[in-house]
Amino acid sequence: MKQSPQLGKAEEAMKPGVITKEGFLGTDVRHLVEILTEDDAEVARLGLTHEVVADRMKYFKEEGLKGEGLLVDVGDDFEVSVESVRGKLACPFGEPGLISKSNVRVTNTRIGKAVNYTDFHIHMIGEHGFYQGKGSPYRVSPKELKEVLAINSEE
Amino acid sequence: MDFQWIELIQSVAVVCGIATVLALLMVIADATIGNYGEKKIVVNKDKELKVEGGNSVLTTLKEQGIFIPSACGGRGSCGLCKLKVDEGGGDYLPTELSWITKEEQKENIRLCCQLKVKNDLKITVPEEFLNIREYEVKVDKIVSLTHDIKGVTFALQGGDELDFKAGQFVQLQVPEYDLCEEPVYRAYSISSVPSDRKKFDLQIKYVNNGICTTYVHRHLREGEIITMNGPYGDFYLRDTDSEIIFMAVGSGMAPIRSILLDMAEKGISRKAVFLYGIRTAEDMFLYDELKELENKLPDFRFVPSVSRPDETQKWDGETGRITDILQKYLTNPEKTEAYLCAGERVIESYKAKLTELGVKEDKIYYDSFGGN
Ligand SMILES: Cc1cc2nc3c(=O)[nH]c(=O)nc-3n(C[C@H](O)[C@H](O)[C@H](O)COP(=O)(O)OP(=O)(O)OC[C@H]3O[C@@H](n4cnc5c(N)ncnc54)[C@H](O)[C@@H]3O)c2cc1C
Ligand code: FES
Ligand SMILES: [Zn+2]
Repeated sequence: MKQSPQLGKAEEAMKPGVITKEGFLGTDVRHLVEILTEDDAEVARLGLTHEVVADRMKYFKEEGLKGEGLLVDVGDDFEVSVESVRGKLACPFGEPGLISKSNVRVTNTRIGKAVNYTDFHIHMIGEHGFYQGKGSPYRVSPKELKEVLAINSEE
Repeated sequence: MDFQWIELIQSVAVVCGIATVLALLMVIADATIGNYGEKKIVVNKDKELKVEGGNSVLTTLKEQGIFIPSACGGRGSCGLCKLKVDEGGGDYLPTELSWITKEEQKENIRLCCQLKVKNDLKITVPEEFLNIREYEVKVDKIVSLTHDIKGVTFALQGGDELDFKAGQFVQLQVPEYDLCEEPVYRAYSISSVPSDRKKFDLQIKYVNNGICTTYVHRHLREGEIITMNGPYGDFYLRDTDSEIIFMAVGSGMAPIRSILLDMAEKGISRKAVFLYGIRTAEDMFLYDELKELENKLPDFRFVPSVSRPDETQKWDGETGRITDILQKYLTNPEKTEAYLCAGERVIESYKAKLTELGVKEDKIYYDSFGGN
C-alpha cells in the first residue's frame, strides 16, 4: 500500500530518537500506513470506532481523577488510578502542542485484567487511530481495550 | 533533529532528490554546529563566561558547572529548564511556546534546552541554582515501603556534602538500559532531614512502563553508583508563625516528611496538621515515625485517611478523601499556610477546596509532580 507524504513524515517522527528515545513503532517493520490500516480493520471487526474507544478511555480517566491520586472504584467491575507524571510528548502526526503522559490504570476486576494508558494514547487513538507498533512497550491493542474497558459494540 | 528539519528535508527530497538533501544537510550542519565561535555569557550582571557557541544554553551552562533544572535530558518535554535571558535570546522557538506563558514571555523567560547560544547572552540565574552541583552517590539501602513505593538511601562519596533545604528535590540520572538508550533525568523530592548532609532518602513510586521507576524498582542494587544533581525547588517552609496544613498522597509524603523532621530538630512548634491520603490501611508506611513526631512537636497532628475502608483490615483512623475531612482540621483558615504535594490535577482539587474554606490563595504552596 502506498503511504502519503504526511504519513511518511509521521513515520519518520515515530522512529527512535526523534520524539522519544524508543520511538513508537517497536519492532514493527511495517509502514505506518499498514499499521493504521490493520488496526482500523480490527476496530471495525470489533464493532467499534476509534472515537468510541478513545471516549471510553477518557471516561475512565475522568472517573479516576476523582480519586485525587488514589485508586477508586468505578461501578462494580472497575478500579482506576491516575498517576501524575511530569513530562509531555509531542504528537508525531505534527500538530503543535504537547500531550501529557500521566498514567491511567484500569483494572477490570470481573475478568481480572488491567490496562495502562496515558493522555497521549487517548489522543493518538481518538485523533489518529494509532495504537503504536507491535513490540512497542507502549502499544495497547484495540482488542485488549475492548475487553478490559468493556466497550460495547456500536450496533 | 527536530520536527521542522525533517519536514524541510523531506519536502526538499521530493523535489530535488537525495543529492540535494545531502548538500542541504551539510549546509545545516555547518550552520548549526560550527561557525558561532566563542561567545560571552554574562551571568547575573557580574560573572562573565567564555563559551563555544552552537550548543543549547542548558548544555553550555552545564559544561560551565551551572545546573538549570531539567528532567527530560533537554528534549523540550518537561518544561523545567526555564531561565531569564535578558539579552541575546532572539525570537521564541515553537518548541518553547507550549511551556512559556504570555506573562513569562514579557519577562524574557526561555526554555533553555531549546535555545542555542548563537549570540552573546545576558542571563539571570537565581542564586539557589548556583548551589546546584552534580554528584556521584552510592546506593546505600533500598527498602520496600509499600507494594509500589521504594525507599532508597543514597550516600555521598568522599568529602562531598549535599546542602539542601527541607522540601527540595534532586534529579537522578538513569543509566542506559532496556528502556532508554541514553541516560535520562527524573526529579525526586528528598524525604530525609537536611542536617544529615552525607546521606539522603527518596521515596520512589512505580509508574507502569516508566523509565526511571522501572529502573529503580527492577534493576537498582545496593552498592551501585548513580549520578545525580541538585538541590532544586522552592517548596520549603516559609518563616512565619501561621498555622500549617500539609496535604499529600502516596510518595507525595516525601518532601513533607523532610520538612517535619527538620521542624522537630529545630523545635519549630507551630500548629500543624498533616493530612495524608491512602486507599487502604495496607498503603500506610512510616506510620510509627510520623506519629512519634506528635511527641516531639506538641502542636502537630498526623492524620492519615483511608479512602476505601476494608473490613478485613484494622483501621480506626479517619476515612474518606482528605479534601472531605479538610474542614474538620482547618480551624483557622485565614491564618493558615497550606503545603501540598501531589500531581497537578490533585493539587487543583486541593487548592479549590482550601480556597473555598477560606485559605488565602497566596498562602498555598505546592510541589507539583506534574502531569494531570
Ligand atoms: C519536583 C518533582 C518532584 C517529584 N518527586 C517525586 C517523588 O518524591 N516520588 C516519586 O515517585 N515521583 C516524584 N516525581 C515524579 C517523577 O519525577 C517522575 O515523573 C515519575 O517517577 C515517573 O518517571 P518515569 O521515568 O518512571 O516515567 P516516564 O518514563 O516519564 O513515563 C511516564 C509514563 O508515560 C508513559 N510513556 C512514556 N513514553 C511513552 C510513549 N512513547 N507512548 C506512550 N506512553 C508513554 C509511560 O508508560 C508511563 O506511564 C516528582 C516530579 C517532580 C517534577
Ligand atoms: S530540559 Fe526538559 S524542557 Fe528543557
Ligand atoms: Zn495528534
